[in-house]
Amino acid sequence: MGLAKFLIKRLLQGVVVTWGVVTVVFFLRYLTPGDPTATLLPPDAGPEVRQRLRENLGLDQPLYVQYYDYITDLVVLDFGESMSSGREVAGLVASRLPATIELAVAATFVAVVLAIPLGVISARRRREPVDYGATLFSLIGISTPNFWLGVMLIIFVGVHVDVIPTTGRQMGLRTALFALSNGSASELGQWAAQLVLPAITLGTYFTALITRLTRSGMLEELGQSYVTACRAKGLPETLTLYKHVLRNTLIPIVTVLGLQLGTLIGGAVITETVFAWPGLGRFLITSINNRDWTSIQGTIIVIGVGFVLINIVVDSLYAYLDPRVTAE
Amino acid sequence: MAPKLEVEGLTTRFFTEEGQINAVEDVSFSVEEGEVFGIVGESGSGKSVTALSLIDLVERPGEIVDGAVWFRSPDLAARIEDDTPEAVDGDYVDLQSLSEGERRALRGTEFSTIFQDPMSSFNPSLTVGEQIAEAVEVQRRARANPRSVRSRTQGYGLAKFIGDSLLPTRDFVDDASHDRAVELLEMVGIPDPVERAAEYPHQFSGGMLQRAMIAQALAGEPSVLVADEPTTALDVTIQAQVLDLLAELQEDTGMTTVLITHNLGVIARMADRVGVMYAGEVVERGTLEDVFDEPAHPYTQGLLGSSPDLDGAADRLDPIPGNVPSLVDREMDDRCYFADRCPKAMGECLEKPPEFAVDGEHTAMCYLADHDYEEADALEEGYFDE
Repeated sequence: MGLAKFLIKRLLQGVVVTWGVVTVVFFLRYLTPGDPTATLLPPDAGPEVRQRLRENLGLDQPLYVQYYDYITDLVVLDFGESMSSGREVAGLVASRLPATIELAVAATFVAVVLAIPLGVISARRRREPVDYGATLFSLIGISTPNFWLGVMLIIFVGVHVDVIPTTGRQMGLRTALFALSNGSASELGQWAAQLVLPAITLGTYFTALITRLTRSGMLEELGQSYVTACRAKGLPETLTLYKHVLRNTLIPIVTVLGLQLGTLIGGAVITETVFAWPGLGRFLITSINNRDWTSIQGTIIVIGVGFVLINIVVDSLYAYLDPRVTAE
Repeated sequence: MAPKLEVEGLTTRFFTEEGQINAVEDVSFSVEEGEVFGIVGESGSGKSVTALSLIDLVERPGEIVDGAVWFRSPDLAARIEDDTPEAVDGDYVDLQSLSEGERRALRGTEFSTIFQDPMSSFNPSLTVGEQIAEAVEVQRRARANPRSVRSRTQGYGLAKFIGDSLLPTRDFVDDASHDRAVELLEMVGIPDPVERAAEYPHQFSGGMLQRAMIAQALAGEPSVLVADEPTTALDVTIQAQVLDLLAELQEDTGMTTVLITHNLGVIARMADRVGVMYAGEVVERGTLEDVFDEPAHPYTQGLLGSSPDLDGAADRLDPIPGNVPSLVDREMDDRCYFADRCPKAMGECLEKPPEFAVDGEHTAMCYLADHDYEEADALEEGYFDE
């Protein structure tokens, strides 16, 4: 089976999964208690006002008609209007998405850049001080709750160092890049500076996890006979280590990276709240508090699609890393 | 004729959580240039570790703690004499005293190793051709720059790995090496070598992959080939083909070969001289005829008696009772390790026998090689039972 065929198969599966997500989200709404009209109208609104609103929202239609309308709207990316602000949900979600993606990618970047070399060194120098250091770091990293870490970073950096912003997001990457194309690089610096603390907060656990995974994966691969065979044919140690061993270790790492990135897209609710970061996670929490069903729906669907897309990317990376995957 | 390899008192131990394991204990033998030296023994007798110890492929927690492997190489001896005089003796170089860099430079170029299980000895995620081409490339770079050990090890690090991953055209391996890999595959009798080179190990059969491993071992045109159970993982019909191939290549190239196997038939067919291993020691060694026709050690006698007759007359087999002893240090007594299974164990066997000369180069680590069995002195039955 070729790579193209493999990808088409995965894409089709992705469509089915997305449909499943969309459907579950739709029906979930009817299983959850709480009438949306109760939050939309003042408590003293009369029954006829309530009825009119129901008709406006289409809530008086039979379920299958509502479902049909819902699906046909989604196909053209119409998520409806927010029940609390009346604005287009698609626009609201789209305005939050860059913040979340920037943060998730930054945290992943921190994790990959730190964790993989750390894991490799740790495995290579097993039971040496470097290894103990890395193991201790990953133990601490995994056990540190990120709300605490975030607050501590804000206190420490904000009060004692005070060189980078500790809260909020002044501009997106697009604005910064636009300024850069006009010859002003300082915006890009500001953009990066505001991302530092949230990325560290979110990336610490992630880094620790990947470090452990890389270390144990490398150790396992180093015990395989093909490593001895590589040494027997006189291959330089670094070549064996990176081209052979690390490459094979990447397979489980890519899995976890994908899953974690998906979770981060789903919103790092705590980190976003601590740093007043205007991402999807915070938006979702606000929407839930407002019983804003259309916004909740829109956000969950976007998160679900993000998950599906990441998994497709992960699967194609598998196929690249392990030739046996496409050969099934 | 001067021997190509002189192994002296080689001792390899594994330091595990269960304790120290004496896998190879004070092993000595010599291998003449161009001959096939067979090492035979049961599983767990230390023969594979001996093979790996020759050019130090022993992985942690194993460690070569003592001994020397003298390798005849006048060029190398002359080159390193000034820097590391302790590793040089005339035309001979002690592989154990060399720096790891020098030793690595000999792997693949002077010393090639064939492993038991071809499936696990190839990296599953790279094509077979690529892996053989790597071996060719190592050799090519070594030839291009024989003096510098480092030139071959440098230039490949994490940065290059990332570069290679992003730009698939950049590679450690040259195109010429890929072509050579295809030639090697053809040489070991793999049909459609060009197509096969682009395939992955899981697309090969066991026999084909073992041929590919032989091709890989030959990439460096080595002067010594160490074959560790080269046919054990293969079907019987394929075993014969692979042995034929090995015998043919050995004849053509005149490679000095150390052949490790538990299969007496393979030894009888391939080897010129033999060492029999038991519990980490070489208990008997000599020419094939000496050892097979007039075995002096009761273990060798038992081994020959417990395998189907090589001439085909299938008499009743006579297995050796008992098991291979534990090699864990604290469980080993200082006696003949075979005494508890030996039908002719005597009182003096409770003390470790030295190596006795049976006849010329034929030696055995057994008192019976020195004097005859005395029934009066025999250990009573069940002496070793707890």
